[in-house]
Amino acid sequence: MLNYLKIWLASMRYSVVRSMMFRGDFIMWSLVELFWMGVSVAAIAVIYQHTDSIAGWTQYEMLLLIGTSMLIQRLLMGMFWSNLFEMGRNIRTGNFDFFLAQPGHPLFMVSTRKIDLDSLLNTVVALAIVIFAVRKLGLDPSLGDLTIYALFVGCGLIISYAIVLLLASVSFWTIGTQGVEGGYFTLYEFSRLPKQAFSGVANIVFVWILPMVVISNAPARVLISGLSWSDTLWMLGTTVIWLAIGISVFSRGIKRYSSASS
Amino acid sequence: MRLLLAKYRHVFNVGLQSNIVYRWNFAMRAVFSLIHLAFVFILWSAAYRGETEIGGFSLDQTLTYFVTLLVLQFFIGAFSEDYEISEEIRSGLINQFLTKPINYFVYRFTIFVSARLVSGLLALVPLTLALPLIGDYLTFPDEVWRLVLGLPAAFMSAMIQFTIAYIFGMLTFWFLEIQSFVILSMTIETLLGGQVFPLDLLPDTIYRISQFLPYYYQMYFPAAILTGRIDYSSASQGLLIQAFWVVALLVIAQVLWRRGLHQHTAVGG
Repeated sequence: MLNYLKIWLASMRYSVVRSMMFRGDFIMWSLVELFWMGVSVAAIAVIYQHTDSIAGWTQYEMLLLIGTSMLIQRLLMGMFWSNLFEMGRNIRTGNFDFFLAQPGHPLFMVSTRKIDLDSLLNTVVALAIVIFAVRKLGLDPSLGDLTIYALFVGCGLIISYAIVLLLASVSFWTIGTQGVEGGYFTLYEFSRLPKQAFSGVANIVFVWILPMVVISNAPARVLISGLSWSDTLWMLGTTVIWLAIGISVFSRGIKRYSSASS
Repeated sequence: MRLLLAKYRHVFNVGLQSNIVYRWNFAMRAVFSLIHLAFVFILWSAAYRGETEIGGFSLDQTLTYFVTLLVLQFFIGAFSEDYEISEEIRSGLINQFLTKPINYFVYRFTIFVSARLVSGLLALVPLTLALPLIGDYLTFPDEVWRLVLGLPAAFMSAMIQFTIAYIFGMLTFWFLEIQSFVILSMTIETLLGGQVFPLDLLPDTIYRISQFLPYYYQMYFPAAILTGRIDYSSASQGLLIQAFWVVALLVIAQVLWRRGLHQHTAVGG
């Protein structure tokens, strides 16, 4: 266990050094993420010029929701995204062999190869948006609420990780699936919507089957109206289930993997 | 003249064939776009709860705007032209154009047109399948002038989209990596091109300013004409500003190409 932690820390150190080597790049990519976050905030600002509520959520409640959604996504981007994205590519090219030869569980080695400092930097911005919204709403969450919020954000990160792992693992079976991983972004868009906006089939698909909506709604709800036990159970259960699905698909895939010829 | 046309007709045919190879990529992209459309429908339906009009338009009109945007995107949007051009410069593939009687811009534009023809037609397939679900929401104005002005506007939008992508590709002469520039500019294009919300919902002054920027003419303008969001006088006025941007961007592209070639050293054989 300690050994794994050491490996992860070494990867992080390496990533930090690398980012500092390519400073121009680092600044550009930080700006890119900042701008994308700005787009979401601008959308909310404009829509609320014309209406008072979206599915019963006020402007700052919506901002809190979006900030939370961004926070989880920045964490995913910072820690795992490029690792998993490259995994798909490495499986197709055969470079995946390299990870199998390393002294550690392949899933761990694949997932922790590097971190993206620019995304992690932008978690601060996402957090600032959340804090700003909380202030504007005049909320005063207790330490317990904050702990649960952090726990839920952690769950959201794990679920997002599991889904991207699942999408990237598709590469074990098919070669022509370049870009499937990008489907994550399309699906993740739904995490910027309040749960109450969904009805009918959309409700079943996006709220009950897929976890995207709950990922952001549950933590935001904790800050707005306190802890709900049903949300907690749902969140923990969903986390376990999705992680199990992600890992089992990856394990099945790795058994099928037979390298690629050059 | 006839020879000239025949030359680029060949390019067009080659472009058509090579893009049909990517049909699955386009199909996947179209499916993602449909999922995005579901997001748009849910968001705006929720925003319209308790309101009959937002910015003077009904829910149906706003949803029609977004569907039109989606279709237009596959017919006139620049996808990865910037990266392709960048790659051709970096790998030295452009060298062959320097010695042949073929204009690189026209060559790339011809390929772009054939690619959009393929992706546009392919995108219609999933959209037609989704029609039973979204058909009830679609409401188009029936004035003929909207088509008469909307189609040239759409064509000029395609030119603006392509030329901006081409300009970003030209940056490869000076920078090793253009990806971050492209994505940074994409955020601005997404927002000011009207893909996140119809631009007419912006506060008045900002909306006025946006009408003078090229982004307004990348996507929003033709969609707004076709779906009845702007009137005749602002549409015809807009066409003039749009034409100005087409020319201005073409000039910039040409200058960058000339200057870039001075920088460029062809290596290898």
